[in-house]
Formats: sequence, structure tokens, C-alpha cells
Amino acid sequence: MNPSTSSGQAQLPLQGIRVADFGQVIAAPVTAQMLGWLGAEVILVETESRFTTRVWPPFADGEFGINQSGGFNLVNGNKLSCSLDLRLPDARELAKGIIRVSDVLVENYATGVMENLGLGYDEVKKLRPDIIYMSLGAFGRSGPFKNLTGFHSVINLFSGLAAVTGYPGTHPRIMGGLIPDAFAGCYGVLAVLEALYHRSRTGEGQFVEVSMTEALTGMIPEAVTEYSLTGKEQPKTGNRDERKAPHGVFRCLGEEKWVAVSVETDAQFRALAQATANPGWADDARFVTLAARLENQDALETLVQQWTAGQKVAEVVAILQAAGVPAAPVSDSAEVLADPHLTERGFVAHVEHPVAGRRPVLSLPWAADGHRVDDLRPAPTFGQHNQWVLRELLQVSDEEYERLVATGAIG
Amino acid sequence: MNSEVNAKATPASALADVRVVEYTEMASASFCARLLGDAGADVVKVEPPEGDRYRSHGPFPDGHPDPDWSGMFLYLNANKRGVGLDRRDSRQNAAFGDLLAKADILVLGGQSAEIERQGLRRDLLKHLNPGLIVCAITPFGLSGPNSGYVGDDLTAVASGGLSFATPGVPDGVEDPVKEPPLTANTPLAELMAGVLGAAGCVAALLVRQFSGQGCEIDLSLQEGVAAVMPYELAHAAYHEPKKRELLGFALMPNVYMPCKDGYVVIMAVLEGHWRSLMEAAGNPDWAELEVFATARERARNWDALEPLLLEWTMSHTGEEIARLAQERGVPCFPAYSVGQMMESPHVVERGFLQELTSPGGQSFKLPGHPIRMGATPWQSFRPAPRMGQHTAEVLRDWLGWTEAER
Repeated sequence: MNPSTSSGQAQLPLQGIRVADFGQVIAAPVTAQMLGWLGAEVILVETESRFTTRVWPPFADGEFGINQSGGFNLVNGNKLSCSLDLRLPDARELAKGIIRVSDVLVENYATGVMENLGLGYDEVKKLRPDIIYMSLGAFGRSGPFKNLTGFHSVINLFSGLAAVTGYPGTHPRIMGGLIPDAFAGCYGVLAVLEALYHRSRTGEGQFVEVSMTEALTGMIPEAVTEYSLTGKEQPKTGNRDERKAPHGVFRCLGEEKWVAVSVETDAQFRALAQATANPGWADDARFVTLAARLENQDALETLVQQWTAGQKVAEVVAILQAAGVPAAPVSDSAEVLADPHLTERGFVAHVEHPVAGRRPVLSLPWAADGHRVDDLRPAPTFGQHNQWVLRELLQVSDEEYERLVATGAIG
Repeated sequence: MNSEVNAKATPASALADVRVVEYTEMASASFCARLLGDAGADVVKVEPPEGDRYRSHGPFPDGHPDPDWSGMFLYLNANKRGVGLDRRDSRQNAAFGDLLAKADILVLGGQSAEIERQGLRRDLLKHLNPGLIVCAITPFGLSGPNSGYVGDDLTAVASGGLSFATPGVPDGVEDPVKEPPLTANTPLAELMAGVLGAAGCVAALLVRQFSGQGCEIDLSLQEGVAAVMPYELAHAAYHEPKKRELLGFALMPNVYMPCKDGYVVIMAVLEGHWRSLMEAAGNPDWAELEVFATARERARNWDALEPLLLEWTMSHTGEEIARLAQERGVPCFPAYSVGQMMESPHVVERGFLQELTSPGGQSFKLPGHPIRMGATPWQSFRPAPRMGQHTAEVLRDWLGWTEAER
């Protein structure tokens, strides 16, 4: 039996769909992982000489090991691993065999790598005419910058997102979390799903391109419009908002502890004044209207800061939320993983990895009728499913398999 | 001839014939529905009489506010038709129900309590249409201990972990005592959730092909943020969370530093890249020093190296440094202003920005679509609707109402 299926599952959006995953680092791996969560069988084609996240920290408990990298394991769950040395022609033939029986191919190598491997769309569609081929590039697959290396910092700095991040009059700040990669990967999911829906009604596959920089520029529409109209750059505003006040993060009790507070309406502000036992704020001419609060933000932020400073984050959030004031903890990544709300909702889950042990993972970022991924599985170890993929699925003979292992094409 | 033909994108679109109703007070749901429209769905934006909040947002062309020409509204609502309905009026609320009976997808955005109060949970709507997919985007989700919490973009960026992680690698926080966690001056969480919501809707359309049943998609802004930072979370899950500090890397240079006209990021930790970088810098004497011989040595002796490297970067513009480095294959890039990005040959050649002309004749640009599909290409076939622009048309097309019935 295909090791990716288990019995008794609900119907899934991508049941019966197979994905050939040539993803690197984060972006396309995130796409393929999400397709796997939605029910597709995902075959990750990995080459040792091209390892990225498998050899990058963090490693389980700080100890190096290609099967215990957190960066790899958190973006490759619910996949099968087939280890092929794509430098060798025999391995590329096996990869073609996988593609021939796949519905979707995803890749985010540097521009031109897939073509050089003989695995570009023009070749692949001869093997599988109705394939959906999702190619994700840092700068896209055309244009003068198509060959530039696109680390997340480069994408932040090029796209304009960094230009609207930071404090007034200071340098552009790089957004954390390596978000360009996974965000573009989410666009990749949308693109593949749309293409699958089209194929289900017409039988037609297609080439789909996603650009990381364009995904990020799509996040700053206001700044783009502003520049086109006035030739002026949208100001950086720190944590402030031009339509809300107070709007920012405020220090609480403890080291590196902050709470986010966002007040838009006068009613919310009156509730804030009551909840913080400062009823006088509500009548203070400096704060009665949004316009006044925006005008007097420095004074207002100082008062809010004085109130939060001696209290725990959780207490501040509970008091403000009870009064209907938008507030939330500024969580670090450990706190996100430990958030009981996210765990109860099933977004943060735990899986047992054969090498790394039991670890928190993220699940599908939405629930459908309360279900996310009923069968959440750990990332594969390197080459874990070679036997199933090559012998069972591709019907490679025992003799041929041994030969390919001996020549290094497999492994 | 069927009047619906006019409401569709041509020639081929992935979601042709899919009917979507949008009812929201949040940008996330508007963006979600817009993405479905971008793929060719027939999207009907239902607005209450007071109008969508982003109509007053701007930026506005021609120097004055106009609810039909708010930049943010135009971005969030292209490729939709606009219907004005006041759900407080029973007859108009019945029309809203009739639209849902004909729809494939209802996209909602708002506080969870408000969605409950308005009776828009799928359990209460499925009698109208068992195939209806309801996608509800809320700050903290429809279930769980914090589902009643109120929130917005800032609370999501904060509670999803992104604010704490910003500034990010290799920028870092120079003084964690003075510099708090940061968000961007743009609705990040809302736009991320919009993309995920659209993906959730199409996934639900696919499963409906075998099940015949709709479903309720529960998507939170908070989870949408955490979902795009798996690598950051991996540090906490596998070893230890990243600290908020200016990172002293074990391998250098991997830095974000000032230059003559701004800032650049330079990554030259591989020895080949380092030699190429030094070549780009004109092979200064110090490049040969033993203390900078390896990436580890350069990290250990960063205090000595930084001023030397700065001397070079401060004497060149970001563009010059990037050109000198990139010519030699060294990853390097300057911090672009929004204007530099928009006018860069790369963005121009790819035709990414969409250009509109305002009623006063001003040129007006918006970001285009980051997905390019070979067989079902993106089309900007309809600008965002004016308030109630298509009320009669949609009630006729979807419900067969005549003028007299309105």
C-alpha cells in the first residue's frame, strides 16, 4: 500500500493527486507540504549535493544531522522522500518517471536549473501533457533580475516592504520570519489549486509562475499608489497607524515582554480608559476624538506604557479584551507554539519524528468544518521512500535498482 | 442571450462560472474575494448603505477624497460587481439570502462575535444551499478559548510571532532595550489571510466535486501570520527561539549595512564569494590579513572588519555596490525605495504594475497579480465597483428579478 494513505479518512480536496516536489529551502516546499495536507501524495525528489535546510540549523537539541533539522522538518511534513542524484542521467530518467505519473510539479530552483536538468516545462509536458507545473522564482522567471539570488532579505529590500517598515526618518527595516518565502509558497498553493480546478473541468494542464518579489510588492498597495500619484514615499510609522491611536506595542513586566494594543473608535478608547482605571482619559480634550488622539500620540503612549509596565502580558490582554479593546501578546516563537488557543484549534500540533522525536509542527492554516489534517505525518528521512517510489510505483526491477544504487543515481 | 456572459472573464479562466458573495468589514476577506475574481469567478460584493470602510481610506487621485477612487479600495475590490443591500431591512435581507442560495462561496470577514450575531455561521445558512462554502476570516478564529477576542492586523502580527521577529536577519535589533518589536506600515496579516482564504475556498470547491457538500472554512489572521514563518518557529521547536538582538553570525559577512546613499545587504560567507567581494572592493591590503582569512575568523574579528568594510560601502552607492558584487556572483542588494522598485527595469519589463487613469486624468498605479498562469491568464477585466453599481444587474442575472420586483 502507498505509505502516504491511511484508512478511514474523510474525503480530501486532493485525494488521488500526486505531486513531484523539486522544492528548495522554504517556498516551494511550503507549497508542496500544504498540497500534501490537502490529501495529495507528495514525492520530494532530493539530491544530497544540493542539500539546503537539511544541513542548516536549527537541529534537534543543537546536534547536527540531516534528518533532524527543524527548518527542513517543519516544511516537509506529509511527504515521501526519494533520493536521486540529479547530476546523473540515470537519476534524471527516474525523475522523469516520477513526473510521468504526477499531476503537479513544483520547483523553485534558481532560474534555468530545471531546464538544464532536462526537466523544464517544455520537456515535462511531453512526458505528461496535462501536468500543472508551478515554477516559483525569487524575481520570477523573466526580466533582467531573473537570475539574481533572492534571499529573504533581498526580497524585503527590493519589493518595497522594507521601505515601509521602520521608524520615521530612519533606515528601512527587514521584516523577520523569512516571510517572503512561505508567503510566496502560499500563492503557489492558490495557483496550483486553481489550475487543478481548471483541469478537472477541461482536462488541460498548464505552466504557472509565481514571483516572490511580486507577492511581497502586492502587500504594499498603498505605498505603490501613493508614489504613482505624488512621487512621494509612504512614510515609515514605526508601530503607529494613521487611523488608529493608541496603536503600538507596550512594555510589560519581564524581559522582552510586550503587549500590542490597537484602538480605533472612541467607544474603544472609553473602554480602555475604564478598563485601566483611568476614567479621566475619556474626558481629556487631548484624547476625546481620534483626531485628537493622533495629534497627542506621544502623551497617550506614555500613559498606556505607564499602565502596562508593571503588569504581566496575560493580565493586560485579559483586562483589555474583557472590555472589548483589541489587544494581544507580542509572542515569541516559543510562545506561539505553546499558545493553548492555537493548540486547541489544532493549528499547532505535535508529531513524532523517527529521528528528532516528538516535536511541535504547524498544521494547515485553516480548518474546514473543524478539520485541518487528520493524518499529520512527520517529514521523511533522506531517501526513506526510495523503495516504494522506485520499485512499487515506477516498477524498477530488483536488478536495475541495485545497479542504480551502485552507480550512485539512487541515494 | 444569457446576460451572465458579460460578467465573466474571457477567454479561459480557472474559476469561470463560480459564484462568490463577499460580505465583510475586513481587508482580508475583500482581498480573498478579489483573488477569486482574479481567477475568473463572478464575485458580488455586498455593501451596506454606509459603504466599505476602505472607500474612505485613500490614497486619492486628483487631490480630493472620492469613495470610488480610494487606492486601497480599488486594489482590494477589482474584478467584482457591487451590490448595495441593507440587511437591517427584511426585504433586502431576503434578497441577501436569495443570493446565497445561488452562490458557491460566501466570503466573510469580521470579528467572530459579529459573524455569530449576524447569523452568518454555515449551520444557519446551509438550508438555503447545501453546497455553499462559507469562508470566515476573523482575527482569532471561530473556535478556541480566544475566539471572542477582538483584533486587527496589529494583534495578528504580534500574536502570530512576526512582530517579535522583526527586524529580521541580518538586520537585527541594535538596542533591544530601546527598540520594541515592529510591524510594517501596511496590513500584512490581512493580505496574507486573503491569499490563504482564497486557497481554502478553491480546495473546498475541489472537495465539493466528490462530496456535493459545502463546508465552513475557519481562518484566523493570527494563524495566517504564523503560517508564513515556519523557519522562525522551527528554532523554538527544535532548539531554542531566536533572540531579539543584532545577530553576531558565526560566519561573516552576512550583514545589512549603510552605504553612500542608503543601505545594502551583503552575503559573502563562502570563501569564493569573499574573494570576489574583495575584488569588487579593489583588493584592499587588509583583504589579505590573516585575521580575515576564513568566514569564522571574519566573524571572530568582526569589530576590526566592520569599519574597513564600511569605509568601502560608504564610498559607493547601493546600486554600485550591488552591481560590483553581483557581476562577480556575490549575493548583495541595496534597500530600494518604493519608487526605485516601481521604476526598476525588472518591474517595468515584467509589466507587474497595473495602470489606471483617474477621472481627473491622473495616472494611478497598483500592484498586479503575482501568479501568472499559462492557460488561464490573469485579467484585470473589471475595476472596483462604485457603490451599488451592479445591484439591478446582479439581482436580474442571479435572481431573475425584473425592475418592478426591486
